[in-house]
Amino acid sequence: MKQLSIMVDMDRCIGCKTCVVACRNHHNLVNHRSHMPGEIPFYIKVESQAEGTFPHLKEDFWVSPCKHCKTAPCATACESGAIRKDAQTGIVLIDKDKCTGAKKCIEKCPYNVIQFNAEKNYAHKCNMCYDRVVHGEEPVCVEICLTNALSFGEKEILKMQAQANGKEIIKAMSSQSIIYVKSSS
Amino acid sequence: MYEDGWIPTVCYQCKAECSILALVKNGIVQEVKGNPRARGKMCVKGMAGITSLYSKERLTHPMKRVGERGEGKFERISWDEAMEMMETKLRALHEKGEGHKFTYSMFPHSASDPKWRFVNAYGGFISTGLPHCDSGKIMAHLHTFGCFPNHHIAPMYFSVPKGGLMILSGRHPFGCMDDACVAKDILDAKERGAKLIVIDPIFRPEAAKADWWIPIKPGGDAAFFLGVCNYLLLNNLHNKEFCDKWVREGDMEKLLDYIADKSPEKMSAICEVPAADIIKLAKMVAEAPSACIDAFKSIMYGNAMDWGQVWSIFLVITGNLDNPGGQPLPELTPMAPVNPVPTPPNLKELGYHRTGPNREKFDHYNFILEPTWYAAQAIKEGNLKIFFATECNPALSEMGAAAWREAVSMKDDDGNYMLDFFMVSEILPSETMKWADLVLPDQTNYERWELLYMPWWYNYSHGASLCRPVVKPVGEARHTNNVIIELGKRMFPEFFAFKDDVEYYDIELGGVGMSIDKLMENGGLWSPGTVGFYKYKDKKKFDTPSGKIELDWNMYADINQQWPSPELPLEYRKEEDNFPFILINFRTIFLNNTGAWSHNNAQLRDPVSGLDSNPIMINPIDASRLDINEGDTVFLESTTGKVSSIVQLTEKIKPGCIGIIHGFGQTVGQVATMVSCFNDNELIADAGSHLDEQDLRGGEAHVSTRVTIYK
Ligand code: SF4
Ligand code: SF4
Repeated sequence: MKQLSIMVDMDRCIGCKTCVVACRNHHNLVNHRSHMPGEIPFYIKVESQAEGTFPHLKEDFWVSPCKHCKTAPCATACESGAIRKDAQTGIVLIDKDKCTGAKKCIEKCPYNVIQFNAEKNYAHKCNMCYDRVVHGEEPVCVEICLTNALSFGEKEILKMQAQANGKEIIKAMSSQSIIYVKSSS
Repeated sequence: MYEDGWIPTVCYQCKAECSILALVKNGIVQEVKGNPRARGKMCVKGMAGITSLYSKERLTHPMKRVGERGEGKFERISWDEAMEMMETKLRALHEKGEGHKFTYSMFPHSASDPKWRFVNAYGGFISTGLPHCDSGKIMAHLHTFGCFPNHHIAPMYFSVPKGGLMILSGRHPFGCMDDACVAKDILDAKERGAKLIVIDPIFRPEAAKADWWIPIKPGGDAAFFLGVCNYLLLNNLHNKEFCDKWVREGDMEKLLDYIADKSPEKMSAICEVPAADIIKLAKMVAEAPSACIDAFKSIMYGNAMDWGQVWSIFLVITGNLDNPGGQPLPELTPMAPVNPVPTPPNLKELGYHRTGPNREKFDHYNFILEPTWYAAQAIKEGNLKIFFATECNPALSEMGAAAWREAVSMKDDDGNYMLDFFMVSEILPSETMKWADLVLPDQTNYERWELLYMPWWYNYSHGASLCRPVVKPVGEARHTNNVIIELGKRMFPEFFAFKDDVEYYDIELGGVGMSIDKLMENGGLWSPGTVGFYKYKDKKKFDTPSGKIELDWNMYADINQQWPSPELPLEYRKEEDNFPFILINFRTIFLNNTGAWSHNNAQLRDPVSGLDSNPIMINPIDASRLDINEGDTVFLESTTGKVSSIVQLTEKIKPGCIGIIHGFGQTVGQVATMVSCFNDNELIADAGSHLDEQDLRGGEAHVSTRVTIYK
C-alpha cells in the first residue's frame, strides 16, 4: 500500500482555524476583494465535541480535510472518470478538465468535503497539496498549523510515530487515510 | 523597492505583531506564514490579513465630515486640505497654551513611535487601550519590583521546565495576544512535563487542554491567590532564602501580619473555589521547580491593583522572578535616541484624567499614560479639545459607549462641538469614523515601514523586527506615521529634522550597530539571542527606590491601600438583587477585539474560518430556572445599558455568569453588518461619570458589570 497521510494530534489541535485560511490562500480559493462571509470555498474544516456537565467537562478539536478514502466513493460515483486515487501517493485527485459538473461526487462523499465552482462548473477539493508534496514539501496546513498538531508522511510511518509517542489512534475516526490520535490516558 | 518572493516582514492584524514571511508574486501578496527565523507562527487573523489588504472596503482617500457627527457623511478631499485642517486646529490650540488638551489614542509600535514623539513635542498626551488591559499589572510590577511588563510579557512558555506550573488566571493565550507561537509553546511545555492550570469561570480551549481547570467566581483571583500565599507562608513553604535576600527589610513581617487571616477557608468564601483546592495548588507550587501566572481579563476589573499586588506577592514569596518558567523582567532594546528628544508634559498635573468633581483625589494616580476611559468626561468638562485616533476604535472600545457618543457629539452654548476636532485614520471603515471630522486612509502592514522593539513583546522582547512595504499602497493611502512626521516638520522642525520614517529608524538602529539596510539583509530581524535570566543578581538590585522588592505599597498608606483587598471588584458587589448575573465579556482568536479591520474581514466573519455570531451564553441550570431556552431572543440589562441577542445554553460557563464575546457592535461596513452583533460596552458604565467608584491609584479599568437577563 502506498498512502500519504496527515496525522491530527488531538492533544494539540485547539480549533483555531488558522489552517483553513492558510489553505484557502495557498489554493487561491478566496477572492479577497469580493467574497462575503458564508460563500468562500474551503478544503479543510474544524470540528469539535464537548462532553460532560459543569464543572466536569472535556472538549476535543480536530480538522477534517478530504479523507482520501481507501475506496473513494466520489471516484466510483463520477461517470466521466474525472476522479482517481493516485497510485503513487494514495491522494484522491479531481481532474477539473474532465469534470462535467454533474455533482455526483458531492452527493456520494460521506464527509461533505467537495466544493463546487458554479461559475466555472467543476468540483474541487483538498489534494493534500499534491504539487508541494511531490517536491518534498509538506501540505500547507501541516506546515503552518498554529500548534504543530498536524504531521505528514507515509501512513504506516505516522502510525509508528504515534505509537512511539504514546498516542492512541482513534479508530472510529481514522478508518480512511487521515489519522486521528490522542494520548492514551 | 518591491520584489517578488517570500519577504520577511511583520503582521499587524493584532498587537502581537508577529514576524512573518509574505509571498509576493507580480506585486500581489499571495500567501503569508510565520517567519521560521523568529518564532515561526502566524494565527488565523494574520492569515486573513490579505483579505483586509485587498478588501473592496479599504479607505482610499482622505474625507471630511459633511453632516453632523454620528451621521457618518463625508466628502472626498485632497491630502493638502487634510494636512491644512489638522495643522490649523493644532496650531490654534497650541497657541492658546492648551497643548495638554490634545490627545492621541493609538497603539505605539515602539517606545519611540513617531506619533508619540509628535504628541510629546506638542505637549499633549497619548491615550492607549493599554490601560484597559494592563495597567493593573504594570503598576503592580513597577511598584513591587520596578519593572515594566504588560500582557505581552507573558511568562516565556518556552522556558518552563519539566514540572513547572503554567497558571492562566482569566487569560486566553491561545487567542494569540502575545505572539502566535504561544499556543505551541504552552503545548510543547506540557509535552516536556510542565503542568497547565487554568483558573477561569468559562471553559475555553485553554481549559480543554489543561491538566486542571478551576472554575472561579469572576474577580475572585486576588482572594484565591491570597489563600495560596497564606498557606505557603504559614506552613513555611515559601522561598525563604529568596525573600531574605531580596525583599526590603521589614516587609515580610508586615506581609505576615496582613496575610495571617487570609486563610484558604475564608478566601474560598469569596472566590467560590473549595479551600481544599486552594491548598492543593499551594502544595503543588511549593513542590514545582517554577510557577508563573498569566492574567489578562481578570486584571481589568475594579480590583485590578489588588489582584496585581497579590500576584506580585505570589511571585516574590515563591522566588519566581526572572527565572526560567517564572515572571520575566524585560529590558528595552538599546536603540539610539534621535536627538533632540522632546520632553513630555507633566501627566500628573496636566493629564485629562484629572477630571470630575473630585479631581484632587487623583493626586494618588500613578499610571504612566492617560487612560482612554476618562476621555468622555474630560470632553464634557472642556478638558479635551483635539482627539486623534489611529488603529483604534473608541466608539466600540470605550467602556460606557453611550456616554462616549454623547461626549463627542456634545455642543456648547454657541453650537460648537465641545470636542473641537476629531481625526481618525484607519484602513477599513470603523465605528468611530462616524463621529470624525477628518478620516485619513492608513496603510496596512503590507504597505508601510515600522520598526518594532517594544520591551514587552513575547516575540522580540530582546530584539527588533522590521515591518517593510512589500506591495504598493492602495489608492491614496498614506501611513499615518508619515502624516504625523510631516505635521511635525511643519510645527516642530527641531524635533523632526530627519528625512522620513526610514531615516528615523536608521538612526535608532545605530544603537545596536544596525541600519535599515543591514536589518533587511539580516532578514528583517535583529536579536542577540538571549533573554537573560536573574538579571537582578548581576545588578545586585531591583529597580525600585530601595533597590529591594517592595511588598508594602507605602505610597498609598494615607488612603489606607498599601495592602490588597481580597474582596471581589466593586462592580460585582453592588445591585446583586436587581442584576443577579456577572458578565464575562471574553475575547477570541477571531477578532482583534474592537479593531475595525477584523470586523470587516470576510474570512474572520465566515463561519468556517472565523466567527459569525455573538450569542449570550448561559448555563442550563440558570436558564431552566428562568424558563429561557436555546435560541430565545433575550435582553441583557445593566444599570447603564441594555442589549438583545440570541441565547446559547452551554455547560462551559459557571452558573451565575453570562458570557459574551467582547469587540462586536460595528455598524459600518458591509461585512461587519451582515449579522447584527451587539457591543458589550453598551452595558458597561462610563468610568469618568462614576468617579467615586474609580481607582485613584491608576491601575483599574472596570470592563465588566452585573447584568440581568430576561425574555
Ligand atoms: S491550525 Fe492546527 S490547531 Fe488550528 S485548527 Fe488547524 S489543525 Fe487545529
Ligand atoms: S497573533 Fe496578531 S500579529 Fe501574530 S499572526 Fe496573529 S494577528 Fe498577526
